[in-house]
Amino acid sequence: MNPRPGVRLAAEVRHQAILLARDPGPMIGYLVMGLLLITVTRPFYVALDHVNSAGTDQAAAGMAVMFSLFALKIGAGHLLNERTWHTWDRLRSSPAGFGEILAGKSVPLLIAILAQQAVLFLVSAAAFGLRPAAGWPVLAACALAWSACVLLLGAGASTLARTPAQLSAAGDIFALLTTVLGGAIVPVALLPGWLRLVAPASPGYWALAAYRCALAGTPAQLGRPLAMLGVFALAGVGVAALIGAGQHRRLRPGAAARAARASA
Amino acid sequence: MLEATGLVKRFGTTVALGGFDLSVSAGEIAGLIGHNGAGKTTFARVTAGLVAPDSGLVRVAGMDVARYRAEVRALLGLAPQELALYPTATARENLYVFAGLYGLPRREARHRIGPLAEALVLGGVLDRRVRDLSGGQQRRLQAATAMLHRPRLLLLDEPTVGADPVTRDALLAAVRAVAADGAAVVYTTHYLPELDTLQATLAIADHGRVVARGDRAALLATVPDRAAGDRPPTLDDLYRHLVSA
Repeated sequence: MNPRPGVRLAAEVRHQAILLARDPGPMIGYLVMGLLLITVTRPFYVALDHVNSAGTDQAAAGMAVMFSLFALKIGAGHLLNERTWHTWDRLRSSPAGFGEILAGKSVPLLIAILAQQAVLFLVSAAAFGLRPAAGWPVLAACALAWSACVLLLGAGASTLARTPAQLSAAGDIFALLTTVLGGAIVPVALLPGWLRLVAPASPGYWALAAYRCALAGTPAQLGRPLAMLGVFALAGVGVAALIGAGQHRRLRPGAAARAARASA
Repeated sequence: MLEATGLVKRFGTTVALGGFDLSVSAGEIAGLIGHNGAGKTTFARVTAGLVAPDSGLVRVAGMDVARYRAEVRALLGLAPQELALYPTATARENLYVFAGLYGLPRREARHRIGPLAEALVLGGVLDRRVRDLSGGQQRRLQAATAMLHRPRLLLLDEPTVGADPVTRDALLAAVRAVAADGAAVVYTTHYLPELDTLQATLAIADHGRVVARGDRAALLATVPDRAAGDRPPTLDDLYRHLVSA
């Protein structure tokens, strides 16, 4: 008997949406910064790649990747708030399971990150003539895959951080590293050789690869980037689930004693 | 409704529970008292499934807490010692989310919020954000979030810490109503007169064990005359007698 999971999930989704709406500043800030940077960097990228006319694509996709990674901190911050507000234990003492809680919190955050991506691409289309050659649905699918990946990476990060300050510092470093390595600021082809070698270790690299396929009209090449985003998403959810599962394991009688014996 | 037997919980070298036994029947309010560190909060956390005991067993409505986690949790209401509310949400939104987490549909919750808010003197502040409420209002709201889904076992861990008289009176009346509705209540506190008001049975914890359990009159009868002097013994006398013995 585990009554009414639908009611629980709806309550958690609605509540998370309320919490997000009450504190819209960071998301609006990342959106405005993204639009501003697309505007000012686009002429530079266009000049770099005037042959292929891919400058607008680079500016829009690069900033979409960069600022969704900064938005990751918002998602992770909301999960961390549950601990600082002491509400995490109340969620855990409710009939909702760990996966259910995570799902409930994720849906509004996913919608927010997707909306951020949508605005950046739509403004780029309206103002700078961005046209995804593979079609808008393919671009939307890439945005969905990347947003889900970002969200699950954020879930993992939130379980590793212990304080908002830790999360903020680690989030900034992670976002910038991923952005730079992924080629969102400087195209990968222009990076130093050793950075080009490690670039595929960044989820941003695969997000940009996916966006390039959608924008350049090569959807047949989407398989590998999307699969890699899936791997990164699994890593994020794996970290979150391992730590969450650890908490659940500690609920079983004798677990602490067994752990002590094992470490002895 | 609640049966805890032989609970042991250690945190490193600290023994938080050292063979803790407690049974509480439906409709009963069990006042759990003891020094700081006597094991009251750890017991509440073990019962709520937040901490696993090293050994021992907790059953709620006959179900092992460790085995039937979700089923047991659906029967519980927990108001922890520290405030655990969403400060940027309103009081009403906090009530909705906790009710929803226990499977209470929104429409049903809407009907229940009014009377409970009136009982806990929260009627005028339901649409204010929690961070703008007074400490007493937040305390009462926290209790309301634990009661709205009508739990069969209500765990209140020092719900009146720092509370003003209005908060205390409202909370105690609401707790009595919950018990009158057939729920078992475990009420931990340092304010012994509250247990008189609640007409609670007593469980006195010391060093992670319950050292005395029973109804008030029977336990007071065990207090030696010298402990109370010329007057009838009080709960304070009983407590001092037992935990200093």
